[in-house]
Amino acid sequence: MPVWAAQDNYQRVQVDDPYLELHTGPGRGFPVTQVVERGQWVEILMRRTDWFKVRTEKGREGWVSRTQLGSTITELGVRKTFRDVVVDDYLGRRLEAGFAGGFLQHDPYMLVRVGYRFSDNLSAEVVVGQATGNYSDSMPYYIAVLSKPFPDWRVSPFLSLGLGRFRNTPRATLVGATETESNMANAALGLEYYVTRRFFARADYRRHVVFVDQNRINEYNEMTLGIGFFF
Amino acid sequence: MQIPLSIRSLSAHTVLLSALLGSGSVLSETTIPNEPDQVIQPEVDRRDVKNPKIKSSDFEIGAYAGILSVEDFGSSAVYGARLVYHVTEDYFVEGLYGRSTVSDQSFCDVGLCLFPQREEPLTYYALSLGYNLFPSEIFAGKGHAMNSAVYLLAGVGNTSFADESHFTFNVGLGLRVLPRDWLALHLTIRDYLFSTDYLGTSKLTSNVELTCGLSVYF
Repeated sequence: MPVWAAQDNYQRVQVDDPYLELHTGPGRGFPVTQVVERGQWVEILMRRTDWFKVRTEKGREGWVSRTQLGSTITELGVRKTFRDVVVDDYLGRRLEAGFAGGFLQHDPYMLVRVGYRFSDNLSAEVVVGQATGNYSDSMPYYIAVLSKPFPDWRVSPFLSLGLGRFRNTPRATLVGATETESNMANAALGLEYYVTRRFFARADYRRHVVFVDQNRINEYNEMTLGIGFFF
Repeated sequence: MQIPLSIRSLSAHTVLLSALLGSGSVLSETTIPNEPDQVIQPEVDRRDVKNPKIKSSDFEIGAYAGILSVEDFGSSAVYGARLVYHVTEDYFVEGLYGRSTVSDQSFCDVGLCLFPQREEPLTYYALSLGYNLFPSEIFAGKGHAMNSAVYLLAGVGNTSFADESHFTFNVGLGLRVLPRDWLALHLTIRDYLFSTDYLGTSKLTSNVELTCGLSVYF
């Protein structure tokens, strides 16, 4: 164990590849200015996206990619590699968020969603949208359950069912119109395309059924395109 | 051949010793299970090292100020707050909330005042996807290099003024410079696109904003 190891509470790993490349910045394009040889120890100072800032035994600092750091050994020795630590730390994250834009019926529409992944196949999300129409603004908000039958596909289809409320606010210029808020149910079909493990594009077709009153049901189609990511 | 006595007695002693030891080891094997105290304590401590969590800094929070030019409604100072989450080294998502003012002076000039007062507040929010197009380094003098990136932005949002809200698309181009790992300076030019119908016909307006900002990573 190196002497400096006991000073700070940083994760320390031993290089197991022939060498570790230290870049000047957290990106693949930044130049490699130094290398750390096999058997030497580095301290991990912080992480930004998939890059880790490390400090060598000589006190030099640089950025290492997650894939390269994956073949190092932690202080626990061979029992646990750094890859396991990273999986524990953030690759197994379950909270996701995203936003999307598109159309609700014919009005421009945007939404924000926050979701939780219970398993690879099942997740739940809270969604708030806002449509800006010529005569009224609509705000659907609902909780939806998503089922992904093929979660390991890069383009992964899903089914979704939601329940919530639908608020409609007429434009101030319309005389006599009042704000309404009704119960709503919806169903959707969609696709997620995984750009990376933690970042995906998402397309939804959703049909909203709004129970305005006992005699009236309004139906709206929603088409959106958006992005999502895991925290 | 005559073996010297001393050696004979030594070998006899060895035989006796080994016999004693042998019986001793048999004895100890039978007695140890009943004896809880171990004679020899192991020198190796079991190391129960818990991996410290690695500090992450994927979020960026900051403020910005600049000029927003709203089509037909003049140019005014704009200021706002920005929250960014860096998902990968290439992509980030950004939420914005900004405030400015609009003036209907150009309408008044032709006798068609729209607002009760000449100026009305404008607020907007936007959610955008960013792409780090050109990550690079900026060299300040001989001994300093700062990481930087030229990025593209595109997103959706809403712009409100004079009791009207407008669905808004935005596209932009920005420069981010990091003097420290936790500090970023931004220079952004962005176009907010929304339609208005103040003169009876609906038209898509292009509203350009130029801002400078400061943000910290956490």
